[in-house]
Amino acid sequence: MELQPTPPPAANLHVLRALTPDSVQEILHSYAAFCSSTASLLSGDLSATGPDFVSNVHALCNHGLRSLVRDHFLKSLEDSFESNSVPRFWRCFDDYRNVGILEKSEGGLDFENRVRQVLYGALEEISSDKAYQEKCLLMLVRSLDSYKESFPDGKCDLDDERTYLFSRYRLMVASVLMNSLPRHFPEMLHWYFKRMLEELSTTVDGEVDAGDGEDDCPDEDDMDLDEKGKASFRSGKMDIDESTFQGKLLENNKLVRKIGKVVHDLRRLGFTSMTEDAYASAIFLLLKAKVHELAGDDYRDSVLEPIKSWIKAVPLQLLHALLAYLGDTISYDSPSPGLKSPLASHQSSCSPGMNTPPEGLIRWQLRLEYFAYETLQDLRISKLFEIIVDYPDSSPAIEDLKQCLEYTGQHSKLVESFISALRYRLLTAGASTNDILHQYVSTIKALRTIDPAGVFLEAVGEPIRDYLRGRKDTIKCIVTMLTDGTGGNPNASGITGDSLLEELNRDEESLENGGVEEDFNTDEKQAWINASLWEPDPAEADPSKGSRNQRKVDILGMIVGIIGSKDQLVNEYRVMLAEKLLNKSDYDIDAEIRTLELLKACSVMIHFGESSMHRCEIMLNDLIDSKRTNHNIKATIKPSQTEPQEAGLSMDIFNTTIISSNFWPPIQEEALKLPEAVEQLLNNYAKRFHEIKTPRKLLWKQNLGTVKLELQFEDRTTQFTVTPIHAAIIMQFQDQTSWTSNKLAAAIGVPVEVLNRRIYFWISKGIITESLGTDSDDHVFTLVEGTSDGGKTGGNNKSCDELLVGDEEAESSVASVEDQLRKEMTVYEKFIMGMLTNFGSMALDRIHNTLKMFCVSDPTYDKSLQQLQSFLSGLVSEEKLELRDGMYFLKK
Amino acid sequence: MLLFLVNNVTKFETSNFSDENLDLISFCYVPPICTEWHAVASWTWDAQDETCGICRMAFDGCCPDCKLPGDDCPLIWGACNHAFHLHCILKWVNSQTSQAHCPMCRREWQFKE
Ligand SMILES: [Zn+2]
Ligand SMILES: [Zn+2]
Ligand SMILES: [Zn+2]
Repeated sequence: MELQPTPPPAANLHVLRALTPDSVQEILHSYAAFCSSTASLLSGDLSATGPDFVSNVHALCNHGLRSLVRDHFLKSLEDSFESNSVPRFWRCFDDYRNVGILEKSEGGLDFENRVRQVLYGALEEISSDKAYQEKCLLMLVRSLDSYKESFPDGKCDLDDERTYLFSRYRLMVASVLMNSLPRHFPEMLHWYFKRMLEELSTTVDGEVDAGDGEDDCPDEDDMDLDEKGKASFRSGKMDIDESTFQGKLLENNKLVRKIGKVVHDLRRLGFTSMTEDAYASAIFLLLKAKVHELAGDDYRDSVLEPIKSWIKAVPLQLLHALLAYLGDTISYDSPSPGLKSPLASHQSSCSPGMNTPPEGLIRWQLRLEYFAYETLQDLRISKLFEIIVDYPDSSPAIEDLKQCLEYTGQHSKLVESFISALRYRLLTAGASTNDILHQYVSTIKALRTIDPAGVFLEAVGEPIRDYLRGRKDTIKCIVTMLTDGTGGNPNASGITGDSLLEELNRDEESLENGGVEEDFNTDEKQAWINASLWEPDPAEADPSKGSRNQRKVDILGMIVGIIGSKDQLVNEYRVMLAEKLLNKSDYDIDAEIRTLELLKACSVMIHFGESSMHRCEIMLNDLIDSKRTNHNIKATIKPSQTEPQEAGLSMDIFNTTIISSNFWPPIQEEALKLPEAVEQLLNNYAKRFHEIKTPRKLLWKQNLGTVKLELQFEDRTTQFTVTPIHAAIIMQFQDQTSWTSNKLAAAIGVPVEVLNRRIYFWISKGIITESLGTDSDDHVFTLVEGTSDGGKTGGNNKSCDELLVGDEEAESSVASVEDQLRKEMTVYEKFIMGMLTNFGSMALDRIHNTLKMFCVSDPTYDKSLQQLQSFLSGLVSEEKLELRDGMYFLKK
Repeated sequence: MLLFLVNNVTKFETSNFSDENLDLISFCYVPPICTEWHAVASWTWDAQDETCGICRMAFDGCCPDCKLPGDDCPLIWGACNHAFHLHCILKWVNSQTSQAHCPMCRREWQFKE
């Protein structure tokens, strides 16, 4: 019982002034007694709050020192809390200063459990300290209340006293803890919530998987017996799962209850927002990881729905339980939560309907879903290039992205990111024009889904179109892609052997047949629509023929838009068609007729004149006529005419394609002297033609056509399909096994350079060898004697039945559009050179306009901007000109 | 020179056929057998001029009224040896109220026998 020399608060000085010595004595005594019993109370002696304590409090109150009583008591609580409970609490976590790093080095379940136990223990300890202090505070409140009750009008603010003191106390607790908060504590909380959520997620995932198992069963029919056994085993297990389902939920709830307890305790210590931050960030982190895990690099499944159901299954379930748990406990101001609240929250959390989810939960759901949409969207946008490469297999990913963007409205992100990916990955010298075009088409198709209005497509397509316009082979590649399903794109994914026209047409037809999207079974689709909150896009929901037709027009329009003039496209097609037709050894042109029909159909839609395709029709008609005429001639030719049988040549194996050359593109004619036997056939054939079709005559294009040869070796026979010149070369060797190049060239009537180029085919097959002759210009070609040591073919014992001579020699029978243009443009070359000498550098437009201005006659400049550009890029590649920043210069 | 060589080779081909090549045949079974020869030719009306004097279109093309050249749009020669698309000269002849003349030489138009 020693005196506490606490100076009285300044506010009470006026009271002291009015005091008598007696009352001073009484005050000093009561205060000393009050202080001492407070001290012993706080050190754990509950008996210190006997009637003495109450009367001391009353005495001090009598002297108007109620605030002194309160302040001293609270100060004592604070001192005790600050010097005992708090350091003890923080000390618990000293060993876990860097929980993230520790986890890596120590790791394991043990470590996890230890950390959890430490947290639980520390929280329990400090909570019980706090509970004791609150009990003490309650005693003070009662003493003060009983003092007030002795006045008749004091009753009304009894609760005020209690509220006031407890709120000051809570404030004190929070500020003491906050002021001494070690930095690693929030980190530890974050880690704790993260681990707990992960555990919860694993258990819930297990349930979801078990639930999914049911859906797998319908394809039981396709399984063999063995599989069926497994399936029934599986469905047997299903029943067990059904019964364990409840158990699992309870287990979850245990987990939830633990989390709830921690959150509750922390809140009561004043860590409300820190706690919320910790579990919120843990939830978002987990959600992000889940999105990445589900989405990954697989674009062939939609992941949006799984993500959303995961949100509902894991974080929302937890939050629901948590909110219910906390909501219940917060309303009761009892220090320890009642046992019934976790049970109550369990019941509401596992009822499927969540009949009326609290507003807080709906906000959470919106937050989480937005975050998931944004995360998935960013993920998909960053991989959009790959996704489009994978299109249409990746259309589920595109569909997901579409929904995400509709939600977030961040389309501009897509445009920027995709354009930079294009620049970096596609629009480079290394990418083939074909690859660029195919990516362009896939981009159009894919982005049309996301952006039916085509606004972003326009922005994304522009750099590709610009780039393609600078390439020389663009038109050719476009025509190939449109019309040719075979040779177009060797590394295209998806359907090969189908031209783009055919594909677009098929889309249209499948639609006419009421086509449903193939890989989307209707039930699933319905489920998807039901489950989804989204309003289906009106265009998507009602795919009328018109809209799909529009799609075809748009895609074609965007492709043809790369080429400046539509006539250029038809010209290019005509050259390719000519090339194809001239290399046919049968008269089968069904595919070409079909393609031309498709092309005509789209010419109507994208407005290039049908008349410009008239020539193509005549070319096809020539083939049909040729077949008929060829048959007539062969059937009516006089059999008596001598045929040199020794070369194995008879009219039976001879056929001709007769063309109306006026309607064909210019044909590359090369002189060629055919073997005598063949010449004989040609003469007889032409004679008969003239007889039948008087006065029409045939003019042979000796270098054109195809010849099938069979070369016999010791162990095998190999077939070759070659051009007449190759045949003429090899046939010369039947009488003479060795030729000098000059003599052989003369024998077949071609320039030596042509011979040297063409004979390479036979050299590459190991049938002819080349050696230097006496004259260094004159090579010697010798037939290989015996093929087992025939070098290049010798190693390959497999007998190849047919080797086509075709692409390996870029020799074509038809002058390409480029060559034709080149020929026509050469007259302007000197003008262009002259202009550039005078002006230094000029942009394309300016060259074009100047030519238009000055070349008004002989010959009039009538070329399009694109034609000029393609001619200029030819001059650039010949190193006559240079192109820098859109300006042409003379190459120095 | 070229002619000489060609003749030489041709001679060589025809005369040296057989015996001497037997040893070659044992190594490589030449001659190659040609199983198919598909040739290409173009047709022409073989008129003296390139274009029809009436429609100015190519003879080997067709007249403005026709879609397909060749059999469907034949040429016809007059007694004066001038040729026209059949369809063109028929129209021309029918449009002349009195006597029809060859548009080229103004002689009276008669189909060549
Ligand atoms: Zn005519
Ligand atoms: Zn006609
Ligand atoms: Zn005449």
